This record gives sequence, C-alpha cells and structure tokens, in this order.
Amino acid sequence: MMDFLSQNANAGMIGLLFFFVIFVVFVSWLFRPGAKEEYKQHGEIPLRKEQAEVRQDD
Amino acid sequence: MNTDTVTNSQESVEYNYDVVKLFVIATCFWGIIGMAVGVFIALQMAFPAFNLEPYLTFGRLRPLHTSAVVFAFGGNALFATSYFVVQRTCRARLWNDKLVSFTFWGYQAFIVIAALGYVLGVTQAKEYAEPEWYADIWLTIVWVSYLLVYMMTIVKRKEPHLYVANWFFLSFIITVAVLHLGNNIQIPVDWRFAKSYSAFSGVQSAMIQWWYGHNAVGFFLTSGFLGMVYYFIPKRAERPVYSYRLSIIHFWSLIFIYIWAGPHHLHYTALPDWAQTLGMTFSIILWMPSWGGMINGMMTLSGAWHKLQKDPVLRFMIVALAFYGMSTFEGPLMSIRSVNALSHYTDWTIGHVHSAALGWVGFITFGALYYLIPVLWKRKEVYSLKLVNVHLWIATIGIVLYITAMWVSGIMQGLMWRAYDDLGFLSYSFVETVVAMHPFYVIRVIGGLCFLAGAIIMVYNFYRTIKGDVRAGEVDKDGNPREAQTTITQTRIAG
Repeated sequence: MMDFLSQNANAGMIGLLFFFVIFVVFVSWLFRPGAKEEYKQHGEIPLRKEQAEVRQDD
Repeated sequence: MNTDTVTNSQESVEYNYDVVKLFVIATCFWGIIGMAVGVFIALQMAFPAFNLEPYLTFGRLRPLHTSAVVFAFGGNALFATSYFVVQRTCRARLWNDKLVSFTFWGYQAFIVIAALGYVLGVTQAKEYAEPEWYADIWLTIVWVSYLLVYMMTIVKRKEPHLYVANWFFLSFIITVAVLHLGNNIQIPVDWRFAKSYSAFSGVQSAMIQWWYGHNAVGFFLTSGFLGMVYYFIPKRAERPVYSYRLSIIHFWSLIFIYIWAGPHHLHYTALPDWAQTLGMTFSIILWMPSWGGMINGMMTLSGAWHKLQKDPVLRFMIVALAFYGMSTFEGPLMSIRSVNALSHYTDWTIGHVHSAALGWVGFITFGALYYLIPVLWKRKEVYSLKLVNVHLWIATIGIVLYITAMWVSGIMQGLMWRAYDDLGFLSYSFVETVVAMHPFYVIRVIGGLCFLAGAIIMVYNFYRTIKGDVRAGEVDKDGNPREAQTTITQTRIAG
C-alpha cells in the first residue's frame, strides 16, 4: 500500500479525485429534492418550546 | 436539589442544572486565575525581576497559564455548555447523576494535580500536554466518564434528530480522548516517581506532539466552541441558524481537514518535506470551512441586525465570530512555508494564538455565560447589560493592544534574526532583539490587564445577577426599561 502511494506518479491525482467525488456526493445529498423543509425543522430544535417550558422559562 | 421540571404531553424531564451551575462557577474562577497568571508572566517578559525563583519563574508559570486558560477556563466552559445544550436539545436529563458529579470533581482534581506539578517543576515537556503520567491516567478516567455521560444522554433522547451543536461537542470529546491517549504513551522510570519518558523519539515524537498540539487547537478550542455558536447565537437572537445545511458541511469538512494540519508546526525541521507540504496544504484548505461557519453564524442575524444595536450579549457572540474569521485567515497564512520562515518562533505566533484565544474562544464563552447564568438561576436578564457593554469594550481594546504589539514585535524579531551584513555576519545578537522588543512587551501587559479587568467586571455582574439584583436605570435587550427591584424596595422603605 505504501509503495503504491509513494511509487505511483498518479497517486496524488487519484487521491484528489477520490476525495473530491466524496465531497460532491455528500453536498448533493444535502441538496436532494424535498430535503429543504426537513433541514429547516432541524434548525428550529433549540427554539422549539413545549407548553410547560414556556411557562417555566418566561 | 434545584431542578427544572419540564412537562410535555407524555412525560416530564427534570434537567440537571446543578452540575451546569458548578461548571459555570468553576469557569469564572479558573478564568480569573488563568488570566491573572497570564498578566504576571507578561510582566516577567517585560521586567525579568518578577521571576521569583524557584517556583514562580516564567518556565514554570507559562504552562500554568496555558493550562489554566485552555483546560481549566475553556474546559469547564465546554463541560458547562455541552451538558446544558445536550439536555435542552435532546430533551433528556443527563445520564447518571453520580457519574456526572464525578466528572465535575474529577476534572477539578486533575486541574489542581497538574497545576501543582508545574509549580514544583514536574513536566513531560510537551506543549499543552505537560502533566506527567499519573495526571494523564487520572484525566483519562475522567474523560471516558464524560464521554459515557454524553453518549448515554444522547441515547435516551426524546428528540429524534441530534442537533448539530451536539455533533461539534461530541467530536471534541472523542477526538480529545484519542489525542490525549496517542500523545501520552510514556513509560515511567519507576512507579514511585513522577518522571516518565516518551515511547517515541526524534522526529516521530515531534510529529505526534504536533498532531496532538494542533488538534488540541482544532477540537478543544474550535470544535467545542462552535457547538456554543450553533446553540447560543440562535437562542439569544431568537432565530434559527442561517443555514442548517451549511452547518452540516461546516462540521464534516472542518473535522476531516483539521486532523491533517499539524505538520505546519514543523516547517524546516527533520520532518520529510512531503509531510510539511501536506500540513500546509490542509491548513490553507481549512480556511473555507472556517469561513463557511463564521458566515453561517453571522448570517443568523440576517434581517435582524438591529438586535446588535441594543444587545451587548449578542454583540459579544458576533465579535467572537469576527475574531474567529480573522484568526482562521491568519493561521493558514502563517502555515505557508515561506511566511512561516519569518513568523515561526517569533511573537507573531503568540499574537495569533491570543487573537484566537481571547477574541474567539474568550468572547464566545463570555457571550454564552451571559446568556446561561440568568437562565440557570432563573433571572430575566443579567444584573446590568451596561456593564456587559463595558466588558466588551475594555476586553476588545485589550485584545487590540495585545495583538498589534505582538505583530510589530514578532515581525521585527523575525527580520532582526535573519538580517546579515555584506560579509555574511548576522547583524544583531539575540539580546539586541530582546531589548528592541521591550516596549511591545509593556504594551502587552497593558492589553492583558484590560482583558483581565473586563473579566473581573463580568464576575461582579454575575455575582449581582445570582443575588437577584437589577441595576437602576437598566433597559433589557429589546430596549425596554427594566424594573429595578432593589431601588423600588428602597424607595418604599424610605417613603
């Protein structure tokens, strides 16, 4: 494995493409159709309050 | 026992705020000590007569300062906020009260054990990992307990989605455990003695140390504090984070890239060139997730910028992000080998660290504390928002004095070291550079004093808040007048 990485002239390019593809797939997954509302809901988690909590805190 | 009961339709959750309160108090206590020691060692640099042999010399107090501010002040702040945030966003009480208490007392014991060691001259001479093997083993037990408490609280959560702040806190806890174990593989000379030797030597030892050291910055001083950003800014601004998607990209890219950046601490050493280049490249790539996160935090105020005008607590948090952006730009710049050739080993590095530690880590912690303390002690707001504003300004002036003095001093120092005359002789002796830096060392002391004064004002503000006082003539964060309880009572008595 080390030999393949150190002796192979294309190893750098292979690594670059490998990680770039992972990054592109990962970001595309975040922007998959229909996910917008789901992520918006997740962002609301700290601000969501149950009825009793409203009475407690304020 | 003081607990907060929350009832929802199905079942009730009693949050454990007791331990959060303890950690908050410990944060303030160690913060003042750590900053005061910092001012004292800055004074020692300017006036060497302040080195009081043998216990209070710069060599022994410097690790006391770094450990006190990073691990005692920062560490307790991380414990407090992570324990608070995980309960609130998981809607679950912390798992196992006894183990939770143990993490508090065990961690304080570690701090005391480590601090005593430094003053008595016990050190394994690894930066930010100075405690010897016995303290390391104790910390491992405490840290694994912390991880267990955190994980088990997440396991029993009622909120299906794990909020992003917890990802940052969890990555900090796990990575610090791995770093601590990796960098402390030491063999004691004898079980009855404090001294131990590293299992590694030479360049391997150096590389492991800076894999540890830089990721201590990345995961202890960045990742955990970003957890604060993603909870406390939305809470204080009463708005969700600008983009939850961007926060996910921020998280994964930050933790993936940070772990490779360590070798930039070893430019022009025996470390192979390819490893130096790797460290430099990843440091530069790191600029992107850092700025993505900064923009995400700041844009949370998009459409509500007016809140900054009235709320000094929110201002603390946003200024913290500005310093985060500035120091995560400066860091990659300094990691470039040709820039590092000038900056390395000079005061520029110290200035860089402090713009991040005081401006970013310090300010986001202050912001989180100003939000947290009224919530924990059930007060509407801190004693005085005007004093918060005084703290903000005096601390900012302190930081500016500190970092500008170190920029000038550091670059001058680097240029003097490398200057040589026509015959190839060095133009300056080392002591000439020390003499030239003296005025800047004095400015640094003044900057440090300002920052310390701000922290003392904060602690006073907290003391009055916990007591239940409201300063006369105060307005709340929306600009509405607040009822000054003490004044009203006094008037009634007088009348």
